[in-house]
Amino acid sequence: MGLLSIIRKIKRKEKEMRILMVGLDNSGKTTIVLKINGEDTSVISPTLGFNIKTITYQKKSRHISIHIEIGRYTLNIWDVGGQKTIRSYWRNYFEQTDGLVWVVDSSDLRRLDDCKMELDNLLKEERLSGSSLLILANKQDIKGALTPEDIAKVLNLEAMDKTRHWNIVGCSAYTGEGLLEGFDWLVQDIASRIYMLA
Amino acid sequence: MEEDDTINPNLTESTEHASLQKKHSSMVERLSKRHQTRSDNSDSSSPSFESVSSFLSRFNLLKTSIESNLAESQSLSSQLKPHFDNIAVSISDLEKLVAQNSYFLPSYDVRSSLKTVSDLKQKLDNLNSQLIPKKKFAFKNKGAKKDSVFIPQSKPSTVENVVSEKASSIAVRDSPGFRNETGHVLIKDCKGLEVGEFTVSDLDSCEVRIIGTVRALFVHRLKNCKVYVGPVMGSILIEEVEGCVFVMASHQIRIHNAKMTDFYLRVRSRPIIEDSNGVRFAPYCLCYQGIEDDLHGAALDQETGNWANVDDFKWLRAVQSPNWSVLPENERVGIVDVSNMNNGNEEI
Repeated sequence: MGLLSIIRKIKRKEKEMRILMVGLDNSGKTTIVLKINGEDTSVISPTLGFNIKTITYQKKSRHISIHIEIGRYTLNIWDVGGQKTIRSYWRNYFEQTDGLVWVVDSSDLRRLDDCKMELDNLLKEERLSGSSLLILANKQDIKGALTPEDIAKVLNLEAMDKTRHWNIVGCSAYTGEGLLEGFDWLVQDIASRIYMLA
Repeated sequence: MEEDDTINPNLTESTEHASLQKKHSSMVERLSKRHQTRSDNSDSSSPSFESVSSFLSRFNLLKTSIESNLAESQSLSSQLKPHFDNIAVSISDLEKLVAQNSYFLPSYDVRSSLKTVSDLKQKLDNLNSQLIPKKKFAFKNKGAKKDSVFIPQSKPSTVENVVSEKASSIAVRDSPGFRNETGHVLIKDCKGLEVGEFTVSDLDSCEVRIIGTVRALFVHRLKNCKVYVGPVMGSILIEEVEGCVFVMASHQIRIHNAKMTDFYLRVRSRPIIEDSNGVRFAPYCLCYQGIEDDLHGAALDQETGNWANVDDFKWLRAVQSPNWSVLPENERVGIVDVSNMNNGNEEI
């Protein structure tokens, strides 16, 4: 029995997923995590270090004729601070990441170059090569924010390695819009790889 | 390691004595080797010297040079400002030195060194206020700059058209903001408008007033500017500013690469600085017609005291960061009222 299959077995029992949230500072990572966990988002200081949140995710199929409970998973979400000084520590969290969430401040036009550069560096990382990538184009509620389509163009997502599973979703951590849609995709995609459920 | 090699003398028997001794001597050798490599490492990687006496001699050397610089300033008549700035930098270096070495210094030395540093700061402050006449904060004094001052005569909403727009390399569209100006007063009235993100960038010696509420504010590359901002519902991101004064209220504030700049803040969370030095903090002090309602609407009507809870990402230690300080009360500007500047600007 190979190591991979042992890991798969263990994971299948607990149905855990490890999700790493990264992105430039001020992109809204912590706000997103608190929002999907139903917590107060009115006072959030810039993250000095990291936060871990364990969230139970449950979703039933909407197609009544099929009657499948798609699954119940425990998401361990690692929300790592994005300030320049601490970006070099992101690598400490790469191991065993099932899902990668890259958060973009869609209203910060000036730093899109930085954003692209950091994402490109991240995707070169071998330890993350098997993880599903969700890009959240956050702050869609702010007037003047770029659309997810524009962000996809700027980040040149189409040029990504063809083996990568990825998706981009517009969202607002402020209103909560788009967050579930994004995480639904991510959980389904990871589940279909790790737990072999379609 | 130690457990493996510890020898209990009670069990030592004559037959085993020789082999134990051999074992013991090899252990001692290993330990000394390990100690050697450890000290080599610390020599090469750590800037500190872990010796109280060499710390004190270096400390005193720097202290003496700062004191002589301070004494010199009495005789200087011009160039006082840069002279004082240099001294301030030296003092903050000295403070850094203390903090870097504080982990091995006896607590008495830490206390007395910090006392010396704060005395030096006090001296500098005193000299500063003695020798450089304090500027009174008032808009009236701007008369001297008359010809260089520009007031947008058009409606506030068209202000962004007046300002020349320079698209960033990949920006898909221009966002509202003030960019590339020198020596102007720039006013944006957001009352009744839905303003998303607003950008203030590449300004030199300008005064910026943003009345009303915006969702997000980006500040980039400002020199010698004064920036007065009503409530910001989301976050403020500041990068590369020097010699500026900011008066702003927001839910989150991040400050990067700021030098010699004062911030008068009201923040719901802890403000952070990164790669900054000589920045000082004080509570929010802006006033204009209807600001109370705007602050209330943005959930910023409560003073949280967070303006003084600054996190320095370049200084993750228990001792106070040398990069920022609380602005002494007698140096604060007092209430800044920008409401009368809204219409008619005849005073400028």
